[in-house]
This record gives sequence, C-alpha cells and structure tokens, in this order.
Amino acid sequence: MPRLSRAEAEDILYSEARLLDERRYHEWLNTLTADAIYWMPANGDGVDPNREIALVYDNSLKLRDRIDRLASGVAHAQSPPSRTKRLVSNVQVEASEENAAKILSALLLYELRRGKERIFAGRCEYQMRFDDSRWKIAAKKVILVNNDEVIDNLTFIV
Amino acid sequence: MPSQLNLEELVQDSRVHRRIYLEQEIFELEMERIFERNWVFLGHESEIAESGDYKTVSIGTQPAIMTRDEDGDLHVVMNRCMHRGSTICQDQRGNSSSFRCWYHGWTYNNKGDLIGVPYANGYGSLFDKRKFGLVKAARVESYRGLVFASLSPEVEKLADYLAGAKYYIDLFMDLSPEGAVEARAGTHRYGYDGNWKFQMENGVDGYHPNFVHQAFFETQAKKIGRKVMQIFTDNSDYESKDLGHGHSLLDMAPRRPAGTRPVSNILRGATSQAAGEAYTNSLIRRYGQERTAEILTASNVNLAVFPNLLMIGIQFRNTIPISAKRTDVHLLPTTLKGVPDEINIARLRAHEAFYGSAGGGAPDDVEMFNRCTDGLRVKGADWLELSRGMDREQVEADGVTSAHITDEVPQRAFYRRWKTLMCGSPAEAQQVKPLRVARTS
Repeated sequence: MPRLSRAEAEDILYSEARLLDERRYHEWLNTLTADAIYWMPANGDGVDPNREIALVYDNSLKLRDRIDRLASGVAHAQSPPSRTKRLVSNVQVEASEENAAKILSALLLYELRRGKERIFAGRCEYQMRFDDSRWKIAAKKVILVNNDEVIDNLTFIV
Repeated sequence: MPSQLNLEELVQDSRVHRRIYLEQEIFELEMERIFERNWVFLGHESEIAESGDYKTVSIGTQPAIMTRDEDGDLHVVMNRCMHRGSTICQDQRGNSSSFRCWYHGWTYNNKGDLIGVPYANGYGSLFDKRKFGLVKAARVESYRGLVFASLSPEVEKLADYLAGAKYYIDLFMDLSPEGAVEARAGTHRYGYDGNWKFQMENGVDGYHPNFVHQAFFETQAKKIGRKVMQIFTDNSDYESKDLGHGHSLLDMAPRRPAGTRPVSNILRGATSQAAGEAYTNSLIRRYGQERTAEILTASNVNLAVFPNLLMIGIQFRNTIPISAKRTDVHLLPTTLKGVPDEINIARLRAHEAFYGSAGGGAPDDVEMFNRCTDGLRVKGADWLELSRGMDREQVEADGVTSAHITDEVPQRAFYRRWKTLMCGSPAEAQQVKPLRVARTS
C-alpha cells in the first residue's frame, strides 16, 4: 500500500471531525484499531501514564463503555449535549511507512452548551495503521493547551 | 450584614436558605469567619518533598505559597510583595530557595524573610528588612502528610481539630505498608459557576449516586456497578455519620466478615491475584492480620473535613472558593508507597474513569451544581430541604451521630459548624458542642 499523503491525512482527519461533531461515536470507534489507545494528558505533553493521571487514557474497551454511557440518555453532563465544531489544521504526515504513519495536526474546537461558548485548542498526534483495506487510528493523543488548568466540563469526545 | 434576614435565620436545623449560595456579602463573611479563622487544607507534603520545593495555593481567596526550606521545614507565606502588592510567585509549582518580585526586585527567601532590596540607599538607616517579611500563615501543621494552615493563631492543634476524622485519615494512609501515600501523580482541576458549598455537600451525599451516576454504574462499572448501586438504596444497611467539628462521612465498609483480601473497589481498581497477595502480605507483615482486615474494609469511606477537604477514592479533594458563584476544585490522586506498580496503576486508571473534567462521574455532579445555581434564581421557594433522616438519627457509643447512608446527616453536620463559625464568637467556635440527642418518635 502506498505511503500516506498529506491530502489523505487531511481527509481522514476531516472525516473524523465530522463524525465527532455529529456525535456518531460508534461509527468513530470503528475507525480505531482494536488495540487503540486514546490519550489526553492532564499536564502538558504528558510523560508517563503509568505514573500520572490523564484527562482520558482509554483503550478501546473503555472507549466503548464511555460511548455507551454517553448514549444512555442519562449522562447528565451531556444532557443537553455539547454542540461543537472542530477546525482541523496544520496537518503534517510526520512519518509514513507502508502500513503505518504518524499524523500531526492542530485542533480548534468551538463548543456551545447551556448558553456558554468555549474554545478549546490543542495539538493532536495520530498513529495510523493500514489494516483491513483502510487507514485506522491505532493511537490518538490530544494535548489541549489548557490541560493543566481548570476545565469545567470535557465530557464530549474531543 | 445581609438585610432582612440575619445569618442565624438562614441556617436552620433541617433547612438552609437559598441566599447562602448566591450572595457575595455572605461569601465574604464565610471567607473571614471560616477560611481565615480555621484550619484550611492546602496539599500533601509529598508535593513539596525536596528542599526548595513550593506550590501556590489559596487560603479562602488569598493567594499563598506552600514551601519547604533547606532544613526540611514547611512554611506557608502569602503571595504578596510587601512593597507594592504584586504577587511574587507566578507558577503552580517549582523549586527555589527564594522568590523575586519583578516589579522592583525585592527578594524573599522561602521562609518569607525579605533578603534583598535593590538600591537600598533610598530607604535610609531606619529601614528594617525584618519588618517587611512576607505575611505568613499563623499556624502550619501536617497530619500524616496532609498540610493545613490557619491565618489565625487561635486555633486548636490540628490533631485535635481533626478529631473523629483522624481514624479515617489513618486508614487512608495505612493502605500503604509504609504508612504513606504520595500525591505526585498529577492534579485534576475542574470548576463550576456556583457556590463552594455545593461541592462540600455533594462529596458526602449518599442519596444522589443512583441518579446522578446511574449511567456510570450501568456502563463503565457494570457488574460491580450494580453492587455499588445497592449500597445507595433505601434498604441497604450502610450509614452516614457526623464525626463532630463539622466533619462527616459516608461509610461504605463492606459488610461481609473481615477477610484479608484487598477489597475490589471501582474507585481503586482491581489487580491480579499475585499483586493482590503480595500487597496483602506486606500489610499483614506491617500491621498484623486484624488491623489489615480493618484497613482493607473500614477505609471504604467518603470523608469530609470541614471546611474544604474531601477524601474520596484515592484522592484528596480541595474545594477552592473563588466567589459566591464560582468554585474551583483540585483533585490530588495518590499512589501508595511500597506496593506493586500494578496496584498504583490500577488506582490511577480507576480514578481517571470517574473523576476529572472528562470523567464518567464527577462532571455529572458538577452538572447538578450548575442546575441548582440556575434553579435557585427562583425567589418564591426560599429553602433547601436537609431533613432527610432526621427522625432516625442514632448517637453511637463514641458520640458519633449516624443515620442511613442516604440521609442528610453529613450536610446537617456541615451547617451546624457553619452556623457556629458564622454566627458565634471565635471563642465559642472552639468549644466542643454537645452532640444532638437522638430523637425518639
């Protein structure tokens, strides 16, 4: 399979952004590998998740549970749900082999909930794996600019 | 003074007035009479383990710095240059033996002494640097590593202040075979546009979990989640307790006969049999069988230490008042010294699953605080009802008042202390009040 191009990487991230903005979480989960890890450090870049807590450090099983909880209808911190719009930018394919690639990007996320508007921004790092005829997310790391400051509610999937 | 209704009337035996959550004037009095005259939790010694370490903290709404000097002693100094009022430390944490105010270069050591004044000739021979040391907390003490400070010198010793909470603090720390935890695994920070008392009420509220946390128990916690929900139903035999001094407790100690297997706990995670056995054996070597069984079961509590500390799961939770309608909350998860890594990793992952801004549990509590702040704009209903369980309180042999775990004993304990401090004289607030006698129906 050919190496991942920037245009393809952008397509992947734009599609992901749309799925997440539309809260199509189960479909989004299908774009991850079974062994994927989703990591949002709670303090800068995050050093070692075995020595410090993160905002999110989920494997795909925990992500499934999280998504089921969000879909339950009684996840009160998302009742009503956040309305979001993600702007994905600064996309770079940092490395690509035949079946693996690393994508870097920047994220600006507008959120509206209960009449309050918030903007989140961060840097994203994706480890991609070509599996079953398509590129899948094997790891996603989101480093929010404000991850070590007070965040009132971050219960939607970033 | 708030008009039309004085403070005495705003907090009654079974209900509290909405104004105490909304009015800035009452908030300012709370800062003065509760946070600036009492022991206030700041952090854990492990956060400033080395000489020179410091962490910026709040005492009420006042910025302060917690430091450790070269001799290993703790200091709490106010973060305010004695020249023209600038803060002198801008970081959350760091290591330095001195702090420089960058407005005019005045420099202090980490004990608060003024050690450097640029162009000192401008101050003449009568200028005495010793008179311009940083304002310090009048008292700083720690108990089992928990650091508290008081801006007033007229407080009892910390160990006496902690009173009935000490037993539970000891259990928390004794989960480590070295009798010590570390709070060096990061901090979760969340907040809400509402009053600080919502958080302190909620941490020891055994009535809300099956509603607020239903989704978590049924999805992320699954099998054990359903067992946990049983604890918070009306026919369980678990208790809530008033420990005196405003401190209180939800008691979730398992009812089965005390064994020595580690208690699997959704807030502490589960680990392999090998790690569990190594751990229990290390506890038995240190504490003996009986105390080990006690530690593993009786430590399953949510503890509130008036006014601003909650110990829940593996964390120290600091409720930080900002204004009448704004609160920040900092969570310090802890690891146990002397246990297999697997156990500490499980603790961290279990904590993450529920707590923090993206957690599966805590943000739903915060959502309720926000909804209450909205709802309390209604003026036609003045009161918040805190009467649950008043008719079934029991006073135990050790003087502790208890009722069902879903009852509002902890909240009534909090407000009794609140009222004493807000309405009584400082001298009165120090006296031990006789506990209420159980009602007979």
